[in-house]
Amino acid sequence: MRSTILTMLGVWMVSMLNAQLNKIEFREFTLDNGLHVILHQDKSTPIVAVSVMYHVGSKNENPNRTGFAHFFEHLLFEGSENIGRGEYDKYIEKAGGTLNANTSMDRTYYFEILPSNQLELGLWLESERMLHAKVENVGIETQRQVVKEERRQRIDNQPYGSFLEQIMKRAYNVHPYKWPVIGSMDHLDAAQESDYKNFYADFYVPNNAIISIAGDIDYDQATQLVTKYFKDIPPSKKPVYRPKAVEPALAGEIRDTVYDNIQLPAVLMAYRIPAAGTPEYYAVSMLGTLLSQGESSRLHKALIDDQQKAVAVGNFPLDLEDPGVAIAYGICSMGTDVQDAERAITAEIERIKTESIPDEEFQKLRNQVENDFVTSNSRVAGIAESLANYKMYYGDANLINTELERYLAVTKEDIRKAAEKYYNTNNRVVLHYLPKPAAP
Amino acid sequence: MKNILILLAAVLTFSQCSKKVTAPTVSVPTIDKSWRKSAPAPGAARDIQLGTYSDFKLDNGLHVIVVENHKLPRVSYQLSLNNEALVEGDKAGYTSFAGELLSKGTKSRSKAQIDEAIDFIGADFNTSATGIFGTSLKKHAGKLLDVMTDVLYNPVFPKDEFEKVRKRTASGLASSKTNPEAIASNIRSISNFNNKHPYGEVQTEESIKNITVEDCKNYFDTYFRPNNAYLVIVGDITLPEAKMQAEKYFAKWQKKDVPQVNYSFPELPKGRQVRFGNKDGAVQSVISITYPVDLKPGSPDAIKTSVMNTILGGGIFSGRLMQNLREKKAYTYGARSSISNDRLAGVFNAGASVRNEVTDSAVTEFIYEMSRIATEPVTDKDLSLSKSSLSGNFGRSLESPQTIANFALNTFRYNLPRDYYNNYLKNLEAVSISDVSDMARKYVRPENCNVVVVGSKEAVAEKLKKFDSDGVIDYYDPFGKKLEDKKVEVSASVTPQSVIDDYLDAIGGKKKLMDVKTMQTIAKSNLGGAEATFENYQTAAGKFAMKVIMNNMTMQEQRFDGTKGIAIQMGSKKEITDAKQLESLKKQAVMFDQLKYASDGNKLELKGIEDVEGVSCYKLNVTDPAGEMSVEFYDVKTGFLVRTVKTQEGMGQKVTVTTDYADYRDVSGVKVPFKITISGAAPMTIVLETVSVDINKSLSDDIFKAE
Repeated sequence: MRSTILTMLGVWMVSMLNAQLNKIEFREFTLDNGLHVILHQDKSTPIVAVSVMYHVGSKNENPNRTGFAHFFEHLLFEGSENIGRGEYDKYIEKAGGTLNANTSMDRTYYFEILPSNQLELGLWLESERMLHAKVENVGIETQRQVVKEERRQRIDNQPYGSFLEQIMKRAYNVHPYKWPVIGSMDHLDAAQESDYKNFYADFYVPNNAIISIAGDIDYDQATQLVTKYFKDIPPSKKPVYRPKAVEPALAGEIRDTVYDNIQLPAVLMAYRIPAAGTPEYYAVSMLGTLLSQGESSRLHKALIDDQQKAVAVGNFPLDLEDPGVAIAYGICSMGTDVQDAERAITAEIERIKTESIPDEEFQKLRNQVENDFVTSNSRVAGIAESLANYKMYYGDANLINTELERYLAVTKEDIRKAAEKYYNTNNRVVLHYLPKPAAP
Repeated sequence: MKNILILLAAVLTFSQCSKKVTAPTVSVPTIDKSWRKSAPAPGAARDIQLGTYSDFKLDNGLHVIVVENHKLPRVSYQLSLNNEALVEGDKAGYTSFAGELLSKGTKSRSKAQIDEAIDFIGADFNTSATGIFGTSLKKHAGKLLDVMTDVLYNPVFPKDEFEKVRKRTASGLASSKTNPEAIASNIRSISNFNNKHPYGEVQTEESIKNITVEDCKNYFDTYFRPNNAYLVIVGDITLPEAKMQAEKYFAKWQKKDVPQVNYSFPELPKGRQVRFGNKDGAVQSVISITYPVDLKPGSPDAIKTSVMNTILGGGIFSGRLMQNLREKKAYTYGARSSISNDRLAGVFNAGASVRNEVTDSAVTEFIYEMSRIATEPVTDKDLSLSKSSLSGNFGRSLESPQTIANFALNTFRYNLPRDYYNNYLKNLEAVSISDVSDMARKYVRPENCNVVVVGSKEAVAEKLKKFDSDGVIDYYDPFGKKLEDKKVEVSASVTPQSVIDDYLDAIGGKKKLMDVKTMQTIAKSNLGGAEATFENYQTAAGKFAMKVIMNNMTMQEQRFDGTKGIAIQMGSKKEITDAKQLESLKKQAVMFDQLKYASDGNKLELKGIEDVEGVSCYKLNVTDPAGEMSVEFYDVKTGFLVRTVKTQEGMGQKVTVTTDYADYRDVSGVKVPFKITISGAAPMTIVLETVSVDINKSLSDDIFKAE
């Protein structure tokens, strides 16, 4: 599935809530086996979101078995010792709920949204998945094919669909971010049942997971039920594998051309940036807002409105646990040379380094960040995910209430410095996407 | 070798039985888990409460709907027009141009100033052909409404911005040429609706060239009127505040009569029509089975249909299409269906993206599931799962205050009973198994549909012919324009009978054919990994026999001695007494049907010249005295028969069978096709390679002995 490998645009939506305005209350505790539990009560609608975030993504994979993390997102709907093959969805749908899952480079996330009287069902299903999911050939065979179709649909058959894969393999040499989340189809084919069983035993353990529940719950009852279903699940005996690789700085600009089934050329520029949550990351993120949020943003105004060189532009950081990249891009308007579009984007970036941001524009940035912060997480499902995210990456779920302060602490000078330090030619991969020449 | 289908079907079922079964593995329990065996029971359900709304009208006719929700300090304003879409003809796209241009300049603000004003307060704001939407934090609502009403009262549709919209749209259209979903959507619109219907229009590179600024101004001036609009206010606001804002900002909006247009319901597709959009190099095909449905919002069928569609392939993962095409067959990442309701016309659509090799198999499964839901009653389990899923959706949707606003808007716009949504769950619960069957029979039409496929023509198109009622695939460009075949005029001297005569001449001439007394044909075919040999015997005296041999064993046999017939299956004999079956055996004894087309009273119609695999052919419709029609294609140059297409009943289902004849070789002065390819009869295409043909060899009567 299930729905998704996290796609780039989804990633950069800053998702939190404003402390002063609507504080999100929550309770949290850790079971003896290491499972961390976060609960948030909101009784306005009789529904509940039950989610489990496993701290395993493509970066935890064996380089010869890439695609496993995402493959498991498929496989772990195949059933468990007590749940028949294909029954997982049925239980949820019969209860009037919905479910899905997605995988990123850093984590795998499963969730159900249920009528609130079905909380226990959600806990049973998630605990079955963690305790003794079925990892066996019949499911593996089916999901291999499904994942291949997913790759064809989302990457091979989509215009520009391969861009992230193309960027990351050039931006990284040693860090596992260099391979795509969907992984290698050859690796999946070559893998044995035992490889899959080992991956499950290594990563699908309570000491590598956070369960986050939000909605119409009673705190005491929810605590009791989570304990009942999860306390006996054994933790792993060895520490969970985390890649130690530190990617050295790029030796210089990397440029390349990719030919794809497209009509309009595009330019993508990926700049290596610091890990999400660091002070510099917030400056880089605000820089992205300045460049591309709203029609008055710099790239939009320059490339689309004034110069009409592009039909779409953007800039977004991938907020990754280890240092990631920010990608600035433009899809050329008809007849525009890709070099021309690249020069126009670079000119806007250079301007940030040399010209101070006007006060009014800086206030606009702050207003935009505040608006996003307040209006995101209007739903319990989003709140459950944000709480788990903050806890897993930063060790502090309460950032759901306070992260805005980190954005508002960024100064104009911080943004200028971030542009100077990270948005420079020696620190980037530039890709030109060009239409494939017609077949002879 | 014409009617071997029944035999084939039996053989195929047999040869497919040997599927591998993987033994389940068992993991070793480490703790006591017996209490986990079954799913926990639900707790007591909380009542689902619908939020409330208020509404009022301004003197100028603007209908205002207000939904209060104070969870977040934000508020949204949606201005929504009520008129039906327009037919835009050779200017397709002008109403959306008008909508887009609205926010591109007013008497006092340039586009850049509008953008600045909106971004400065972190608001979202957009305009379209059907209305204006804006949302912001409550503290900025006044500024938002200032811009919103400036756009409404003082738009100038600047010429330079107009040209930018045109250029950008042109680029977008260029880029959509390679997007398979966009291509499929265009072909869908054009196939389901004709060009006199607003839903059948597609923007093209040509149509946007014809649009003028005046068109945009006229549209705006005619339709953006308060008596043609709803204003929906949702969020952190009270009713008195909303009333004050509505008066302050919208009371001066001038009303004016708005023209009403009526459209007739589009015609349904005749039979099943395969419509193909080529995307060179595609690794997947986008399949979409679609047709218009007459289903209006709030009609008694609307809820029942949604239950039926959920079982077939609606939103849930347990839907039959998803289970069959993804979980069972692994053809696709996702397969779904939908039925929309709409005042003018709704649309049924079932689709998936599948890899090239299984494109035709996937279409077969879609048609199978569509037929099944109409012919077999669904189970109690299916029904309750579907209802629970829909009531769950309903409950979850209430988390958003926008849902209540949409309910209110629909209630007014579609004239629904005021308690329609309050009764929704009750009405959903009342849907029965027979309701589902009724809805499927009424709205699911696997035999009358457009099968839209976008993919690699080279890799997949040929295999889709078997699904088409007339055996001819229509090809479309990325904007849904039908690509005309190279039309070749049939010369005046050609008549249906001359085509037949030319064919008879080509294969040896009437005299030679009349001299053929017996014919023995041996052919081989690979059926799913196993080789089968077919032996076929015919005599001029009207006798016929056929054998299917696999692994040196005779699997199936049919004999007909001119009056009596028997079938032998795995050694057990059965006399054929059914008159229809005997008639069919009698037909199979005929070696050269075309000799008797005239004398047997067949009706022949010459339908022109068409392309078959790059070969120009005369297309002939042949209707026998019983009214059964087949379509035959004869090579214009050589006279040979190259293809027949026939729709026939087989195993209780209607199937369209396409048979291709190739590799004609001389046997005793008669030309016989040595390669016969049959598609549509079985899940896979069957290729028969002729091994030997003997003409006028003496055949023992034992071969035909029907006792």
